Amino acid sequence: MAGGETWRPPRLCEDYWWEWKHCRGLRHAFHHYYAHGELPACGRWRDDYEACRAWERGRAAAAQEALCKSERARVMEKQKYAPVWTLRKSPPPEWYLPLDQDKPN
Amino acid sequence: MERGGEAAAAEGKAAEGKAAEGTEEDDFGYRLFPDRNKKPQSFLVRSLFTFHNRCQLMLRMTLDTNPYAQLLLEAMKQSGCTVFNDRHFSCENCDGCVSGGFDSATSQIVLCQNNIRHQSHMNRVVTHELIHAFDHCRAHVDWFNNVKHLACSEIRAANLSGDCTLMNEIARFKFGLKGHHQACVRDRAIRSILAVRKVSKEMAEKAVDEVFDACFNDLEPFGRIPHSKTDAKRAYRDFQNRDRYNANL
Repeated sequence: MAGGETWRPPRLCEDYWWEWKHCRGLRHAFHHYYAHGELPACGRWRDDYEACRAWERGRAAAAQEALCKSERARVMEKQKYAPVWTLRKSPPPEWYLPLDQDKPN
Repeated sequence: MERGGEAAAAEGKAAEGKAAEGTEEDDFGYRLFPDRNKKPQSFLVRSLFTFHNRCQLMLRMTLDTNPYAQLLLEAMKQSGCTVFNDRHFSCENCDGCVSGGFDSATSQIVLCQNNIRHQSHMNRVVTHELIHAFDHCRAHVDWFNNVKHLACSEIRAANLSGDCTLMNEIARFKFGLKGHHQACVRDRAIRSILAVRKVSKEMAEKAVDEVFDACFNDLEPFGRIPHSKTDAKRAYRDFQNRDRYNANL
């Protein structure tokens, strides 16, 4: 899926930088501890930022591969658990139906 | 139900058919929303009551300015469920301490105008109910017959809407720090199930426990647990850039 000439990083390099800085901040550390009971690990964002920059500078294939691998791992982590429900292929048909105002109590 | 029991009481209420048959054992939470299934009052009468006006104004403010709501509205639009204020929201008087609900029978979010007094509360209730609506839109959620489905949506709503921030928990006199967010989410999901379904506490707890890991980690459409408006704005930005993200994996 890292297609040849037209590939570019999944996120802007500035976004990786922002995520890294945000992850290292006190506020996020507190929220992460409150939500997960442990402090966050932020090194991956830094690695992704450096890979992004390396690709921008020299279109390094290794940097592209590292970045893709890291982002795919993030996606896989989110798909770790079996879904509880089946996803729809189209929205519920009654979503746009008008309300039945004359329905008896 | 705790005082000011945030949102999500009475999800997925009975379809007309089931209500007509007389569900003696389970009213699916309809008792909390006495104005449901009643003919709405005339415009003149409604406009005289400031609760209704205040509710409408606060709702408009939320939909126009709150990044949580804006992301959910956009995500729902992308899923094929465009939300219209007049059709999909209803400000009504409710019983007890409920703040709102999602009526899957009519695809409508109910906001309790007599119980929502502050803009921040409205923001949270709207976000909470929009998460239920989003789940209804994107998945086959069996609100009436499958307690696990209900539990999953409640876990997600409590997790992602800001219901369980530290300050909100302290205001409820519930104190905890390390991983307390998860304890709050679990507790609120169980309470919400018990408010709208006639199941035993053990059954509600079992359902929540069975789906907790999967549903606590299902962060759609945010992609992260938004602990602040900054997080929500970032999540909205990521959502808008998702095409680029997916195309370059």
